[in-house]
Amino acid sequence: MDRVVILGAGISGHTAALHLQRQLKNKVDIVVVSPNSNWNWIPSNIWVGVGKMTKDQVTFPLAPIYKRKHIDFRQAKAVAIHPEGSAGTGQAFVDIVYTDPTRAGEEEQITYDYLIVATGPKLNFAATPGLGPDANSWSVCTAGHAEQSSAALEAIIEALKAGEKKTLVIGVGHGTCTCEGAAFEYTFNVEHELRERGVRELADVVYLSNEYDLGDLGVGGMTFAQNGFETSSKMWTESLFRERGVRAILRAHVERVDPGVIHYEVLDGSKHTLDFDFAMLLPPFRGVDMKAYANNGDDITDNLFAPNGFLRVDGDYEAKPFEEWTPEDWPKTYQCPRYANVFGVGIAFAPPHAISEPRKSPNGTVISPAPPRTGMPSGVMGRTVALSIAERIRHGGEAPLRTASMAAMGAACIASAGTGLRKGSAAAITMYPIIPDRKRFPGSGRDLSQTSGEIGLSGHWTKLLLHYLFIYKAKARFGWFMIPE
Amino acid sequence: MSDVDRSIAEAPLPTGGTLRRRKSLFYQATRFVAFNLRMMKMVTRAHH
Ligand SMILES: Cc1cc2nc3c(=O)[nH]c(=O)nc-3n(C[C@H](O)[C@H](O)[C@H](O)COP(=O)(O)OP(=O)(O)OC[C@H]3O[C@@H](n4cnc5c(N)ncnc54)[C@H](O)[C@@H]3O)c2cc1C
Repeated sequence: MDRVVILGAGISGHTAALHLQRQLKNKVDIVVVSPNSNWNWIPSNIWVGVGKMTKDQVTFPLAPIYKRKHIDFRQAKAVAIHPEGSAGTGQAFVDIVYTDPTRAGEEEQITYDYLIVATGPKLNFAATPGLGPDANSWSVCTAGHAEQSSAALEAIIEALKAGEKKTLVIGVGHGTCTCEGAAFEYTFNVEHELRERGVRELADVVYLSNEYDLGDLGVGGMTFAQNGFETSSKMWTESLFRERGVRAILRAHVERVDPGVIHYEVLDGSKHTLDFDFAMLLPPFRGVDMKAYANNGDDITDNLFAPNGFLRVDGDYEAKPFEEWTPEDWPKTYQCPRYANVFGVGIAFAPPHAISEPRKSPNGTVISPAPPRTGMPSGVMGRTVALSIAERIRHGGEAPLRTASMAAMGAACIASAGTGLRKGSAAAITMYPIIPDRKRFPGSGRDLSQTSGEIGLSGHWTKLLLHYLFIYKAKARFGWFMIPE
Repeated sequence: MSDVDRSIAEAPLPTGGTLRRRKSLFYQATRFVAFNLRMMKMVTRAHH
């Protein structure tokens, strides 16, 4: 029986595992390797970070689900891939190290016929001295980080109640960060919370980002058709900042975070400091630490992985100027070019380049967002690769692969701007395609009839609905597969 | 005042009517349906 090993049980890996099991039932041996015992609906970490949800509401244990689905779950982290096997055997395998408390530190080799790398990002706090919850700023990237942020925010609110003035800085902690949408959401959720608690007046809320303009969100901004005009996500976002009294510092690369002081450079090369009492700064992402070896023991990590640690798949990785970027550069099947049985999905695959225009300061510092790979495309990629592998297992190794290019895919994104069934709000955005195609859609590169944005209470309801739907789906409850990615 | 501050200060503010519509339960219920239909259309296009 063919064995499919899936590294990572996040949005893309878990989706792939469930679809593969549904497709092939007991005709496949599925092994999921992931260091965390829990699944986390990461988008709702924002609400944990303002104390509106608990860690338990956004996570659940994976083991019982995998047991029910006859999927072999190893609580471990993958450390190396041997796509050619070892000398003489030719049987590919991965090296794993258990994080399961009962087997902690134990090493094992797991052979595979197909491998899906869905390891998501390494939260690279080390790129910026002083960044992160072990140093001088907070994060909401994991449910645990979000709980810490919530506790720190609570202390700030108490001080504000006592009449002290406080500066709260929320944003990204490096010039090459992605996930600006999450920083935006946390900014407005914090601002909402401060108003709800009656302490907004004494708080200075500052959004600090590497985006060139507000509303860029790492996708080069968006153009919407509204009331007979083409408006931009820039104007739309600036309007929200004005309405809610949030300051913004843009085009910034955070160089260092000292206790209470952020040191940053902006695109014109000038350097500044910003004092803070509370800072939530997202880290830049890179691929997780994984090695690759040929059957003669040679280190082939650089062949499999791009310098940023993400897995090279079927994209066009040739370096070219922004003007020459095309939608065709983006991967379609997520198959590794050198090893046909290896695939990379979700954040783990190497994007060919950014989506936002790349920029550097006169000092050579890169200050522009890396491309986001959000939940919906990550899930779609996981499902697509699962279906491709299922077909190859059923019909043989030459069966055609399914495609799911981000250049042929739209995305829906709901950016929460505050919680509450009556008082909440969110910016509900759709865009098509994710990767702009200026030939098909001259101007913005996106289809104006399918790219939209609106702010209101209903966006919050949708975000809440998605929270429950995706947790239901991830628990593989009755009819889970009817809920699209 | 930085360029960014100026740009924010000059951004259009929502009118009272817009702010009321953003919170109106009736109006938002219609937007909820409209957005979810739009999202479903997008999702079905992504699942070919
Ligand atoms: C705060 C925040 C808010 C967000 N909000 C939204 C939102 O509102 N909407 C949206 O669409 N997207 C949102 N995103 C993005 C979304 O979370 C990601 O797109 C999605 O999680 C990517 O899925 P993934 O499977 O690639 O990675 P992940 O979900 O991160 O999963 C990676 C998995 O790999 C495991 N792993 C790590 N190292 C190893 C290893 N060595 N071996 C094996 N397994 C390993 C991890 O434990 C994890 O289980 C948000 C992200 C953040 C950080």
